[in-house]
Amino acid sequence: MTTDPDNSDFRYPLRWRLMDGAERLLEIVWPRRFGRFTGWLLLLPALLLVGILVLGLWQMAESSLHVLDRNTFLPSEEYTLSNYGTIWQSATYFKVIWRSVQGAVWTVVFTLLLAFPFAYVLVRTPRAWVRKLLLIALFLPFFIGQVVRAYGILIVLGTSGAVNDVFGLIGVGPYRLLFNFPAVVFGLVQYMLPFAVLMLAPALTSIPQETETAASSLGANWLRSMRHVVLPMAKPGIVGASLVVMTLSLTDFAMPAMLGGGSQDFIANAIYDQFFRTADQGLGSALALLLVALGSVLVAVIIGLFGAGTLGMGEKK
Amino acid sequence: MISATQRRVFWGLVWFSILVLSLPTIIVLGASVTSGNMIAFPPEGFSLKWYEKIALARDIRGAFGRSLIVAFVCLVISVPVGTFAGIALTRYRLRFTSLIQIYLLLPFTIPLIGSGIGMMLVFGNWGILGHVWPVGLACAVINLPFIIWSVSSSAAVLDSDLELAAANCGAGRIETFLHVTLPGVMPGVITGGLLMFVLAMTEFLVSLLLTDARTVTLPVQIYNNIRSIITPDLAAISSVFVVVALIAVWLLDKLVGLEIFLKSK
Repeated sequence: MTTDPDNSDFRYPLRWRLMDGAERLLEIVWPRRFGRFTGWLLLLPALLLVGILVLGLWQMAESSLHVLDRNTFLPSEEYTLSNYGTIWQSATYFKVIWRSVQGAVWTVVFTLLLAFPFAYVLVRTPRAWVRKLLLIALFLPFFIGQVVRAYGILIVLGTSGAVNDVFGLIGVGPYRLLFNFPAVVFGLVQYMLPFAVLMLAPALTSIPQETETAASSLGANWLRSMRHVVLPMAKPGIVGASLVVMTLSLTDFAMPAMLGGGSQDFIANAIYDQFFRTADQGLGSALALLLVALGSVLVAVIIGLFGAGTLGMGEKK
Repeated sequence: MISATQRRVFWGLVWFSILVLSLPTIIVLGASVTSGNMIAFPPEGFSLKWYEKIALARDIRGAFGRSLIVAFVCLVISVPVGTFAGIALTRYRLRFTSLIQIYLLLPFTIPLIGSGIGMMLVFGNWGILGHVWPVGLACAVINLPFIIWSVSSSAAVLDSDLELAAANCGAGRIETFLHVTLPGVMPGVITGGLLMFVLAMTEFLVSLLLTDARTVTLPVQIYNNIRSIITPDLAAISSVFVVVALIAVWLLDKLVGLEIFLKSK
């Protein structure tokens, strides 16, 4: 037994007594017989936090049912669906929605075209330092944030930017590369590339390299072994990556706002303008809810295909 | 890769991707040290005067401080909430698990503009719009799945017999949690916290919706300045984010290794 040098009667250390006190307090506040519900108690804060979003959706639904009174600039009292009618009949919103869908589809095509070889090389390269450098090239933009990346693209593609300098060296240009539809798609592809690669890479990891060796020893050239062996086996990853890229670029705000120069608005920009330019909350809320609905359909497809555990939250025991 | 053609085609595309991903960053870093008054590449001479300028600019220092506050508020809220939720999802048998998972994924599945507008309306009703801390709360909400995911993946590999052993040795519930469960999930907590901090630092759209002229965060400040005029001082501010990102990637690699993201489930 340890003895205290200057005190004969042994006292527990303060830390022990605090811990005992805490345990006793817990026994009063949350007795052991509540054990069945401990999991729910631990989950409660997260459920409440996400509840703010549900509350937000509810508020948007509520305000989408009131039209803006042009005389008082206040939402009207009575409930009506006319905001949705306005969107349905408006040629402008049809154009904006159509542009967003087109932008999202092009982004998916180009992103996958770049992400597939990137993920393939990343997974298959035998050299560890190459893999590390590729991963850093991928993660750095992810952490830099969208605004700064868009700013970088503004400088690179500007009339006196690096790309036009290169054009100048070979005697063509300068071209106006910014503030048009391709510039927005370029920005979106740059933004989405890390997401797509990180979704494709695990799918490619699970394909044994021997299958490709087998295909080529049976006389397939690399294009055929890609098409008939690798692509079919990577299909879940490819579909998942496409849907995620589709959803994120369809609803993006920053790239159309910064690289489109006001002429290439996507749905998110139209929603923002309704709230902060025309101050028509009802119409803006209706648009936002439509976008949420559109996104939810895409997400439902993802979950239907891969299950809710797509992100690996709460692995099965 | 067996065929030389395939190697050439794939590496060509990979180099193009690397160029697309890195060139804007490199150009921003280069532009920030120019001694001229215009963004030009290559920069005309080396100077740190733009860094001096942003260090002295009051609005930029204020915005940077507010971004730090937002990131800290987000960290303080999301780390305990996400840790408890991650532990609850993996270590307790709950009913309706798949429904809960779908619910907790709402921050990812609701488009950001929808979440932002919704929170703007809710915060407006609560009368807390115009403060800085609600932006941190909002960042915690929209990125919550990241930390839940990272804590769950470390909790899933923790042997639950360890907790039983601790209890068997006479440890109380708090002691078991503090000395067994928490150290076990710590890698996930740190990774998740790192992600939450950096994502809150760089969060743009939700900040744009929830801030006004007095409470702008740094990304919103950059956005507003870009719309007026592009000068090298913006490149200097942007370089601050590049440095933050470099530190984050280095830390992530040290803590869990970047290769973990390549593993198939």
